[in-house]
Amino acid sequence: MARGVGWLVLTQASEKAIPWLFRDGVDALLAGAFGSVAHTALWIIALALASSVVRTASRVELFDVGRDVEFDLRNALLAKLHRLGPSFYRTLTTGDIMSRATNDLQQVRLLVGFGGLNLVNSVLAFASAIGLMIVVSPRLTLLALAPYPFIALFATLFARAMYRRSNLAQAALARLAERVQEDVSGVRVVRTHRLERRQAERFEAVNRESVEHNVALVTIRGLMFPVLMGLSSIGTLIVIYRGGLMVLAGSLSVGDLVAFNAYLAQLLWPTLALGYLLSIVTRGRASYERVADVLARTPLIDEDPDARAAGDEGALCVRALSYAVDGRAVLDRVSFEVPARGSLAVVGSTGSGKSTLAALLARLLPTPAGAVFLDGEDITRLTLRSLRHAVGYAQQEPFLFSTTVERNLEFALPPDVAIGTDEARARLRVAADEAAVIEEIEAMPERFETIVGERGVQLSGGQKQRLALARALLDAPRVLVLDDPLSAVDARTEARILSGIERAAEGRTLVLVTHRIAAARRADRIIVLEEGRVQESGTHDELLARGGHYAKLAARQRLERELEAEEGAVAEGLAEGSA
Amino acid sequence: MSAARVTLDRDAARRAGLDAVRAANVRPPMESGGEERVYDVALLRRLGPFARPSLVLFVVAGLMVPLIALSGLVQPLLLRAAVDAMVIEQSAAALSRVALLFGAAIVVEFIARFAQTYTLQLGGQRTVAAMRRATFEKVQRLPLAYLDRTPVGRVVTRVTNDTDAIGELFASGAVLGVADLMTVFVIFGFMLYLDVPLTLVTLAVLPVLLFVVQWVRVRARRVFRLVRAHIAQLNAYTAEQVQGMAVVQAFARERECLAEYREINAAYRDANRLSIRYDALLYSSVEGIAAVTVALVLWYGSIRAGWVEPGASAAYVGTVVAFYEYVQRLFTPIRDLSTKYTVLQSSLAAAERVLVLLDHPEEDAPRDRAASAPPPSVTGDAVLELRAVTFGYREGQRALEDVSLTLRRGERLAIVGPTGSGKTTITALAMRLYDVERGSVAIDGVDVRSLDRDALRERFAFVPQDVFLFAGTVGENVAAFAKTRDDERVRACLERVAVWDRVRERGGLEARVEERGANFSVGERQLIAFARALYLDREILVLDEATANVDSLTEARLERAVATLLEGRTAIVIAHRLSTIRNADRIVVLSKGRIVEEGTHDALLERGGLYARLHALQFAGEGSLASPAVPAGSEP
Repeated sequence: MARGVGWLVLTQASEKAIPWLFRDGVDALLAGAFGSVAHTALWIIALALASSVVRTASRVELFDVGRDVEFDLRNALLAKLHRLGPSFYRTLTTGDIMSRATNDLQQVRLLVGFGGLNLVNSVLAFASAIGLMIVVSPRLTLLALAPYPFIALFATLFARAMYRRSNLAQAALARLAERVQEDVSGVRVVRTHRLERRQAERFEAVNRESVEHNVALVTIRGLMFPVLMGLSSIGTLIVIYRGGLMVLAGSLSVGDLVAFNAYLAQLLWPTLALGYLLSIVTRGRASYERVADVLARTPLIDEDPDARAAGDEGALCVRALSYAVDGRAVLDRVSFEVPARGSLAVVGSTGSGKSTLAALLARLLPTPAGAVFLDGEDITRLTLRSLRHAVGYAQQEPFLFSTTVERNLEFALPPDVAIGTDEARARLRVAADEAAVIEEIEAMPERFETIVGERGVQLSGGQKQRLALARALLDAPRVLVLDDPLSAVDARTEARILSGIERAAEGRTLVLVTHRIAAARRADRIIVLEEGRVQESGTHDELLARGGHYAKLAARQRLERELEAEEGAVAEGLAEGSA
Repeated sequence: MSAARVTLDRDAARRAGLDAVRAANVRPPMESGGEERVYDVALLRRLGPFARPSLVLFVVAGLMVPLIALSGLVQPLLLRAAVDAMVIEQSAAALSRVALLFGAAIVVEFIARFAQTYTLQLGGQRTVAAMRRATFEKVQRLPLAYLDRTPVGRVVTRVTNDTDAIGELFASGAVLGVADLMTVFVIFGFMLYLDVPLTLVTLAVLPVLLFVVQWVRVRARRVFRLVRAHIAQLNAYTAEQVQGMAVVQAFARERECLAEYREINAAYRDANRLSIRYDALLYSSVEGIAAVTVALVLWYGSIRAGWVEPGASAAYVGTVVAFYEYVQRLFTPIRDLSTKYTVLQSSLAAAERVLVLLDHPEEDAPRDRAASAPPPSVTGDAVLELRAVTFGYREGQRALEDVSLTLRRGERLAIVGPTGSGKTTITALAMRLYDVERGSVAIDGVDVRSLDRDALRERFAFVPQDVFLFAGTVGENVAAFAKTRDDERVRACLERVAVWDRVRERGGLEARVEERGANFSVGERQLIAFARALYLDREILVLDEATANVDSLTEARLERAVATLLEGRTAIVIAHRLSTIRNADRIVVLSKGRIVEEGTHDALLERGGLYARLHALQFAGEGSLASPAVPAGSEP
């Protein structure tokens, strides 16, 4: 910063020296001292070149500071976001977070870079220009500066009005977006109810409002310069008239007058900048507060100061685990045990708390202390990184990154496997095979190199789930927690995948959350969750014999499967008949 | 300072253990930051119709251009006159006269500038509003198939941000870039009038200026595109991290992702630094060249005064001073031309995207009725007929295959079948939300393709599965936003479906409905939608029963409401409730896009086919008739 200010001082000095030399030149020209004029001109040229260099340097130096601050803030923000859990993401939408990471950070950067540069520069410019003007003529200085308080005042008012009006215009644009969003989302209802005209009218009302706000905004934006430049021209007018009279009276040279006028002109931009500065400070401060708000959040899931690494057996024990969200109990004293290399299925209807249970096992939600134990160790006393390496988790609604299939899978490769090696590639293929997705990957336009997501190949829900499953298998965790990872996969493929997982899970502990009996029955033990409580537990046969909820569900699903088979047969029969 | 910061940052990185970490490699592909394209006049001409209503405003704005140029550029000339008044005439009266003229020029310039700004912005905003309106109305006429496959966000962007970017063309004054060029020429005119040789001296510097501006411009624009591409990637990465946070955390890949983010972030920062350098270079060198020009003018002035026309130095001082002013005014528009060109480019790119949408083919217009009228229906009381209809949402995928179906007047027809069997498709085709591939759909014996779309849809009342309420009031929603609304009847309809008490609690007909009806429960939303269908009282009711889980009390209410709704009506119901199916006059069983069974409840049960199986399943559990086990992606 100090160096930047140094450059600014030099910039101002050279900027002020040129009119001064010009003054000498004009006076010499008038006096007929032509040799001295040429001399002055050479000096001006030399100074002009020097000033180009220092001016460049000062801008670079000071704007870079803003960019550096932005860089650091961005990194800090993501690091913080990584540590925050679902309770935070429920309070802020992705859009909110993004607007803080983009618009707000930009405002903060402007505050530090542009704001800093202009504050220092304006102070320097005022001091030097007014100082030199006083040297030329104190009386004329007083007169010429008369419009400047007004310029400053107007600049401030304009900046403030612009800020307010641009907020209004932005809000109007957001309302327009809402209208379009509603119209497109409800397009079927709009069309069948012939609401097109009515929708267009409602849109037009907001559209008109938007025009009003925008015209108000751009009028201010457009009015600003004519007004401020008009005011500054009044200063020039004063200089020409009063200064001219002084020249006529002999108390001022023409050169003095020209230099004086130049200094006055050089005041215009710093004055405007000060007006801008006020609004940048207001905005920047509000933005900084929004960014700082995120940075100041305390993560609910925090590492114990003397946390230990997780063991490598994989025995899971849950004791009286209760969990509530907003005062509503989601899990109520759930207890079960899975020995190392054993398997457990969790069955239950929607809203029974099974997904919450799955997330708590990997401490992806704030797991209470003393409830979940891994190899006899309370998981809240383990380092997060080792715990999550030990407990692999595949969620029901999988998220894939918008990059290639290969990179999505490599994401989960253990850190000791180097990417791009034959071993790494072999592992990817094995995992993709176990998740029964390899054939589809091979059928994609660029196989493992195919980009998935919005700008790539669109995957079906089932394909996404299977890719996510392959990813979970790659991490090679001791405990594999699968949260209904195959809800969008048909029953036949599911059976294939489950066999694959069983092979892969050999020597691994498996917790499978599912709504399918066909999948659950493969587990050593099954628990049935209902409204957050363990309602039944036992092996598949035990539960069937009991004739409870599980048995009912099993009967129903058997019927469904038969039906599906039959329906397929009927449809095929019809197809043959019509062919 | 910056060096210190970088070191600090590196320390922080080491503390976080990032040096040893393998960066994650999941960044989204980098987009190009926009192509450098030359947009032709044809594109601008396409904007013409939207601007035409504001033509007067634009003409006024245009007329102000020469006025501003003259009133502004006459000022240095007056300055010379003032200097002359001081050093040659040495008369206070002459100085006063000049000052008066100078004041007049200031006032004229101010008024002209203000008039130009105001008319231009008003016209610009009206043009944007007209485009926006046209775009919105266009969206309403786009085929559903297009909207099905286009993300909602993209459509929203076309109507809002893209049109806004076109507005920036006016707001930033880029549209006046031509006027700036004109100013440059006027300045040369004034200079030539003042002094030809001095103008030539100034002109000699111009190639240097143009070279520098061009040199920087080419590089700055390349860097600018780079910056845009980097920021797009950075933002996309942030958004994906937020959306996929559960994955990042579950795999404990926070450090790896942060390491990758820092790489992208650093690339963005470096691109910006480069941009800062070019920007600084442009500003400084233009200032520098201006100063050099001033020096040359001064120096040449002395040569002229000294050797060529000795003794005229007093006359020369005013000219040199005026030139000093002109040089300052000359360089600014040349420097800013590049910025304005950038705005112009991005505005035109946005305009092009909007125009592409506006050019998209619309839903087909009704065909000539006489030419395509199918033979009159065999059964005289058939209201709706599907004849051998085949249809698919996507190429190579069939949603319906050779389906024939007749709905008779006063008949309640239930369609039953597993998810993805094509039930909803049948109703969509009946209302001509899509056009059939083969076969035909007829209303009263007339092909729907030859009916006026509004007239066709006016015959249906439609209750979709995902009930959609619009932001507004309950009354507006029930009356489907009709201009005139019978409040008594609206209330009666709400009462008939037994939701009036709930609505009254929230403030009656004027109760606010938030976006998509978010402030009403699922059950309430459905009941309000039923009331809407009752109020509309159309010829044919299309009801797509919801399968959503509701509590048993609500379920009982819904069941009664459905019965009320169907009373004495011609209706197609995609049925999930047993009571609804039982009350139907006829049941059509659909499987994989084909009709497999048809008949009354009792007859179908007796037959022991697919329907009987579905029915047995209904009793085995408490769920709906639709089977949840369906391969994903079978229906859009």
